[in-house]
Amino acid sequence: MNAKAWWTGSITIGKYLLLTFLSFLMFFPFLWMISSALKTKDEIWQFPPSLLPENPQWHNFLDAWNVAPFGLYMFNSVFTAAVIVLLQIISGAMMAYAFTQFQFRGRNILFALILGSYMLPVAATYVPSYVLLGKFQLLDTYTGIIVSNAVSVFGIFLLRQAFLQVPKELIEAAKLDGSSHWQILWKMLFPLTLPTFATFGLISFVQMYNNYLWPSLIIKSEEKMLITQGIQKFFMQEGGYGMQWPLIMAASSFVVFPLLILFVFAQKSFVSGINDQGIKG
Amino acid sequence: MIPLTLFWFYPMLNSFLISLTDWDYISPTYNIVWLDNYMNLIRDPIFHEVLWNTLYFTLGTVIPTIVGGLLLALLVLKNQQGMGMFRTILFSPWVTPTVAVAIVWSWIFEPETGIANWVLSFFGLPGLEWTGSSTWAMPAVIIVTVWKGLGWAMIFYLNALKRIPTDLFEAASIDGAGGFQKFFRVTVPLVSPTTFFLSIISTVQALEAYDQIQVMTQGGPAGSTRTLLYLFYQAAFEEFNMGKATAVATVIILITSILSIIQFGLSRKWVHYQ
Repeated sequence: MNAKAWWTGSITIGKYLLLTFLSFLMFFPFLWMISSALKTKDEIWQFPPSLLPENPQWHNFLDAWNVAPFGLYMFNSVFTAAVIVLLQIISGAMMAYAFTQFQFRGRNILFALILGSYMLPVAATYVPSYVLLGKFQLLDTYTGIIVSNAVSVFGIFLLRQAFLQVPKELIEAAKLDGSSHWQILWKMLFPLTLPTFATFGLISFVQMYNNYLWPSLIIKSEEKMLITQGIQKFFMQEGGYGMQWPLIMAASSFVVFPLLILFVFAQKSFVSGINDQGIKG
Repeated sequence: MIPLTLFWFYPMLNSFLISLTDWDYISPTYNIVWLDNYMNLIRDPIFHEVLWNTLYFTLGTVIPTIVGGLLLALLVLKNQQGMGMFRTILFSPWVTPTVAVAIVWSWIFEPETGIANWVLSFFGLPGLEWTGSSTWAMPAVIIVTVWKGLGWAMIFYLNALKRIPTDLFEAASIDGAGGFQKFFRVTVPLVSPTTFFLSIISTVQALEAYDQIQVMTQGGPAGSTRTLLYLFYQAAFEEFNMGKATAVATVIILITSILSIIQFGLSRKWVHYQ
């Protein structure tokens, strides 16, 4: 018995050691980013690399922030992402409501179409969508980014799944009380399925903040650029000529950290909502 | 419904129609060339290379992500002290923008003073050119992609593992099954719906990978990291050869559809729903 206890004990310790090592490995790029951001230009080019900067150059962060309009980029990203998420929630909730509460012709076909499009790469739509935005004079505008992202197929699935969990009797009762569909959706279903809304909102916000290819096709003028475009532009400029790695790492830090902090505070919503249960038809 | 039609259904169809033309985006007129764009692709050696790169990248990211995700999930499954923290850390790369972390990784892979080569020198291995070499650029891009996606796969497996009834493991123990047998006879079959789902979604994501390639290699060196989507991007928005680009898009859609159909077909055989 004692030998067995000793054995399970050492397995547990081994597991913790392994996990600590793996977590360190996964988190290391972030640590290395900060460490590099604090180095001087000479120090960063030393080989073998020093793990910690000898004399932390905190002003690198300020310098990087001032070299390019990162504040503006960040505002653009947060602003467009917030509007997009709001629209996706409204449109997703309405679609999900229609799919769960109404009987209409072609409902299943329509749902299968949407399900199918979830599997298809978005990239296939880029050329026609680009042309379409061009026709509406929406290239290089926030509206262009927002309108083209206004619906999220993932959101429709997630919310539909959540609405299906709500007991039918509740909705029937509300209808008998004379509530309109709009009221049932926002006064009853919305509060009942709030966690799903929160999860979806957070995930979608992160995706929109991180989105790069599509916005970089639409937005050309500097003052409307999103943060992902901004950091790439900064990287190309500083990386190409000056090789300002410490400044580049400092800039990457303030692009990455708001998300890491958001994630630490809201991790329950992220982790509980990402579940394949939501995808089953 | 209108935005969905405008930016999903209509473009999918329209994309296919454009692929039958020689439109260059700027001129208002175009000729219908029928399947010429497709024939040109089939004859083009660059396209063959791109197909191969896409296959390499897809297998290279999907398999480690799925296997690694399952193993990580098993490690952090029990609600012991500190597991929440480990889960958070392992998942954190997924939250961050690919563009920004790919920049950080290009610094790690820097051939002369990058830390990746320093680690290699620890083991007495020679430093690599990484993104500067056509052999190692693809592995470098794959490493970044797997690093970012591992925690994501782990979360899906965690949910799946929690749904396995514990009495199944007890029954297996009574039958005298060891740890490995339990893993392959009970765990693997019971999480197969998740494996199935993840393999489809990760494949689609691999086909859509662009950010890390653009930051780290721009498809180079010598086209060694140019995947289908990257070829699409170059044809459409660098060459403005819309016919060629949309033909590539059709190929991407075809591959995804075929994969989904195959996977759905196979799933009847090896996916065990409870």
